[in-house]
Amino acid sequence: MASILWLHDSACADSSLTGGKAANLSRLGADVRVPPGFCLTAAAHQAAVESQPVLSDALAGAVAAAYAELAQLCGVDDPPVAVRSSAVDEDGAAASFAGQHDTFLNIVGPDAVIEAIARCWASGHADHARQYRERHGLHERPVRVAVLVQQLVPADVSGVVFSANPVNGRRDELVINASWGLGESIVAGRVTPDAYVVRRPDRHVTHRTIGDKTRMTVRTPAGTREVEVPRLLRRQPALTDAQIVELVDVVLGLELRMQVPVDVEVAWHGKDLYVLQCRPITTIGAATL
Amino acid sequence: MSTLPAELPSPTPIPAAPDFPVLWDDPTDAFLMWTNDRMHFPRPMTALEYEVWAAFSDGANLAFTSLAFPIRQRFRRINGYFYQAAIPIMPPDQMEANGQIAQEQMAKGIEQLPERWQREWLPEVQGILERWRAFPLSTASNDDLAAHLERTLAMVSRLGDIHFHVVIPGYFPLGLFEEYFCELFPDRKPFDAYRLLQGFDNKTLETDRALFDLARRARLNAALLTLIQETPPAALREVLEQSADGRAFVADLRGYLDEYGQRGETWSIAEPSWIENPAPVFKTLRDYTRDTAHDPHVEMRRLAAERDAAIAEARANLKGYPTPVIERFESLLESAQFGNILSEDHNFWIDFRGFHQVRRVVVACGERLAGSGALAAADDVWHLASADVLRALRAPATRDLRPLVAASRAEVEHFAAITRPPALGSLPPGAPPDDAMARMMGRFFGTPPAPADETDVIRGHAGSPGRVTGRARVVQALADASKLQPGEVLVAETTAPPWTPLFGTACAVVTDTGGILSHCAVVAREYGIPAVVGAVVATSRVRDGQLLEIDGDAGTIRLLD
Repeated sequence: MASILWLHDSACADSSLTGGKAANLSRLGADVRVPPGFCLTAAAHQAAVESQPVLSDALAGAVAAAYAELAQLCGVDDPPVAVRSSAVDEDGAAASFAGQHDTFLNIVGPDAVIEAIARCWASGHADHARQYRERHGLHERPVRVAVLVQQLVPADVSGVVFSANPVNGRRDELVINASWGLGESIVAGRVTPDAYVVRRPDRHVTHRTIGDKTRMTVRTPAGTREVEVPRLLRRQPALTDAQIVELVDVVLGLELRMQVPVDVEVAWHGKDLYVLQCRPITTIGAATL
Repeated sequence: MSTLPAELPSPTPIPAAPDFPVLWDDPTDAFLMWTNDRMHFPRPMTALEYEVWAAFSDGANLAFTSLAFPIRQRFRRINGYFYQAAIPIMPPDQMEANGQIAQEQMAKGIEQLPERWQREWLPEVQGILERWRAFPLSTASNDDLAAHLERTLAMVSRLGDIHFHVVIPGYFPLGLFEEYFCELFPDRKPFDAYRLLQGFDNKTLETDRALFDLARRARLNAALLTLIQETPPAALREVLEQSADGRAFVADLRGYLDEYGQRGETWSIAEPSWIENPAPVFKTLRDYTRDTAHDPHVEMRRLAAERDAAIAEARANLKGYPTPVIERFESLLESAQFGNILSEDHNFWIDFRGFHQVRRVVVACGERLAGSGALAAADDVWHLASADVLRALRAPATRDLRPLVAASRAEVEHFAAITRPPALGSLPPGAPPDDAMARMMGRFFGTPPAPADETDVIRGHAGSPGRVTGRARVVQALADASKLQPGEVLVAETTAPPWTPLFGTACAVVTDTGGILSHCAVVAREYGIPAVVGAVVATSRVRDGQLLEIDGDAGTIRLLD
């Protein structure tokens, strides 16, 4: 069986091979803008776990070849990529696993990509991930981590959207958080983002709180760094009204496809909106639409 | 001006100095904090000079109105000194809502400034200057001259409007850029931010370069060179007139003075311009023929190359940043570069050329009155109020104005010898504001320096980077500038743009007044010499000839002997 599947191939949508994160993106890629990329399957990880947690020469060669193909697809030499784990039982409706496995952003060059994959594998064994599994009754399942390699979106603004309000459980409200730069600062809760509550039926913004966005994640030559936001931009809204309208349409479309309320990570590069992750909201139950 | 304070602050009166009594004409004035702008007006001014400055400065209030600033300014001449006070015009609870409007108005003002300066304001200034030039001062009737004086005060007021509409959005982005840069690059200093603005031409540098070029031409002619180097500046013109080469050079000098000499020493209009007294120009000319190390052409190319490298480095460091962060950096950089040029150029056109014309008008009035015997000398006219001058010009009979002048002169001379308090009236309640405007004013005028922890150190503000050791030359007025020898440290209360040719030969400069955006600091950076500004007590503590170590990065002056 192939160790590497491309997001744009239908085989990638099988979450038992590629994990929920990659499978969802693969399924949704036809409808929304998803950065191109490939996935190293969970089976490849399991095979390696049984021997040792590093990539065999053959697998490393396959990754390097896929990365070269991605470079052609993107039209740039050595495209910066995001390397993220996509655990097979991750993104299930029962537990979100958010942040339980490492994400490596702005990885450049085949050797760095291979190293980041090995670190994603290793993080699947890390104590905090294991404890999380145990708390959620997942510990008996084998640890299997698929790894997703995607072209990095050099995000001007990153956002997290809930198609239902996770705070009060209201299904007629959609909640947007948005902040400057790559998504790490906002996902890790290290910045107070702008927050919008949108009334779904008429897409009216009912609450708008511009956060004091003091931190942002920026790209460095090889990786990322969290820096201070200059004061002039801290209280500037990160999104325009037009961006909010576009985002609401995209997220409601994703919910319709997924048939459950969704938690979506997005990024803007210029005018282009990218979907980086889409998964069921776990905190308000798995009720279908 | 009839604006009243929106809310009278609870008064904390500032104790009055016994040798500086103050009587408030308007009782509400006592509740305001009055500060003396020592950087622009280090000496007491005469009555008419104050009237001109007050008409001009009131332009700030029109600019504040356009920019939705919640303050207005009042001006007073107190014991001869120019004092100003800011009055809040709305209660504190309205300030926040107003802040948003003010921010938008300022952003618009900054964005439109280059276009409006080029297409609107500079042509209007040039038109006003032309109206002054075209008026036949020597042949006009007394009545026409009086009408012209009235028109002149109105034209000054209009120049003031333009001036403040230009300088506020001109200076504002300089501070914003410094803060933005230092927040993006926390390991950098404010100087590193200003490095990205340096090396552009401006009228101050052009004035200096043209003089350098004259000196270079003189160096090619050995006989001329000897005359320039060995004749005292005051006698130079007369000596030059005696030879053909000398006369040709005098013609060049006249051309130089026509173009660049419409300025006096500081911002004072009661003092003669370079055209009237070219001695400071001749002195710098002589220094330039002797000192060939400083070449402003080379210096500007060096600064421009340094600037381009600093910009390229900053852009490379911002490569992985969000586009809005980069776009704001670029727009602030562009506005700050323009503001940096305009900080000098507006002086050339408005403060110097404009006030040169005002001076011509006032002195012409003085000549008429001296001719009729009402005044002892034309320059005495500065001691009168404009109403007295108009009345005297229009009156059929001569009235002796000399007693009026004598009383006024006695007052000015008395207070010139007294150290005026930096602040009068009342201290406002609460902490001073820490908004972008307040910080910008601090960068321009300077803030009180931190006390020095060593007795042989005077603290000021970092004005221009570098560390150098040299002998002090305390220069109280541009007329004393001939004392300054190449390689010495220029120590002065303030330096106006006409002083800046001295920066070409001094090794460093120290002033009592100003901040990192003062004219002195801006120009010192363009000359690449260290500067400590806003040192408050430098001219009173430093002795002439004392050996000093100037640290322009730390903002300190160490007294070495």
